[in-house]
Amino acid sequence: MAGIAELGVGIGWRPEIDLTVERLPGVDFVEVVAENLHAGHLPESVVLLRERGIPVLPHAVSLSLGGAEPVDLGRVEHLGEVAEAVGAPMVSDHVCFVRAGGLDSGHLMPVPRTRDALDVLVANVKLAQRNLPVPLALENVAALLEWPDGELSEGEFLAELVERTDCWLLVDVANLYANARNIGTDPERFLDEIPLERLAYVHVAGGVDHGDVYHDTHAHAVLPEVLGVLGELCSRVTPPGVLLERDDNYPSDAEIASELAAIRAVVTGRQG
Amino acid sequence: MIDENEVSAARERLAEKQAELLHALLANGPAPAGFDEQRLGVEKRALLSKRRGIVRVLGPAVADELGDRFRPLFDAYAVEHPRRAGSRAREDAAAFAEWCRAAGELPTHRKARWKFWRSH
Repeated sequence: MAGIAELGVGIGWRPEIDLTVERLPGVDFVEVVAENLHAGHLPESVVLLRERGIPVLPHAVSLSLGGAEPVDLGRVEHLGEVAEAVGAPMVSDHVCFVRAGGLDSGHLMPVPRTRDALDVLVANVKLAQRNLPVPLALENVAALLEWPDGELSEGEFLAELVERTDCWLLVDVANLYANARNIGTDPERFLDEIPLERLAYVHVAGGVDHGDVYHDTHAHAVLPEVLGVLGELCSRVTPPGVLLERDDNYPSDAEIASELAAIRAVVTGRQG
Repeated sequence: MIDENEVSAARERLAEKQAELLHALLANGPAPAGFDEQRLGVEKRALLSKRRGIVRVLGPAVADELGDRFRPLFDAYAVEHPRRAGSRAREDAAAFAEWCRAAGELPTHRKARWKFWRSH
């Protein structure tokens, strides 16, 4: 498979900050939440960004690729249609499950790191890939709990997923930080174990510390510690892209610009 | 390569584990073996809080009318009515409002009054 395009520094496009995203300097690419878009009538702002030549990458949250059931091809088809409508070079979703036992968790739940879960995930990812027009990248999630009887570390699990499916990786450094805080995993070990040559891009997001738990809210400022994990990643590989996710409690344009600048400084190795 | 039968067997085993976890987290099911109970509690509260926040955004009028009662009522509704796979968040918000009306926590003639007001 060919290499991944250089993306630069980007931000998650959301309807609430559409004008901000349009006028911010230094936005090299954006992500859209695939489930919130319809290929037939894209938001004007997304069309404008495309006309400017800004890459738009659909990011899905509902495929439930780590779920026990075969992946829902209707959802895959929708993701593919959005990808074609925005001329995307790549799409993504998460290594997680959303639905099980007839219930919807409303969230990206971690999968057990067992051989069974990996075999099912691989089968689902391959089925999705066969039905998508562009390559698929998969993202590590933030977990508040740990499944018992894990047979592989998270890094080993993702490395084998890549080896068996040829998928790309979307590494969320805020999720690595959250997992380090909440379930005691080691971000450096994770970065040592994953195939960094398959890194598509990186997510950065803010969160809030509730004492015993760190919540990856996407609604607070990015912590210096999260930029620290990004720096750790950048010491190993130059990421093709890094994207800031902000989903709620939107700050001023200036604050968003300064978070993007801080990310760029880490990527270019020029942080203060 | 893993053959199809092996994947099917793996799917069945995984389905059971994932269903058990979601029932514990969303529908007051028994705690699955091997999990840290305190962590299950943290996850349960996080999922409930996320769902409550979405319903508040989708139905601000209902949340405003309930005021301080919104949170305890929503939490009671949520555990009785875990979200079904394939359902939409808007349906959840509508079902919660309906549940409140049935429980006498919201006036039941909202729609009629609204139509009456609009026709003038």
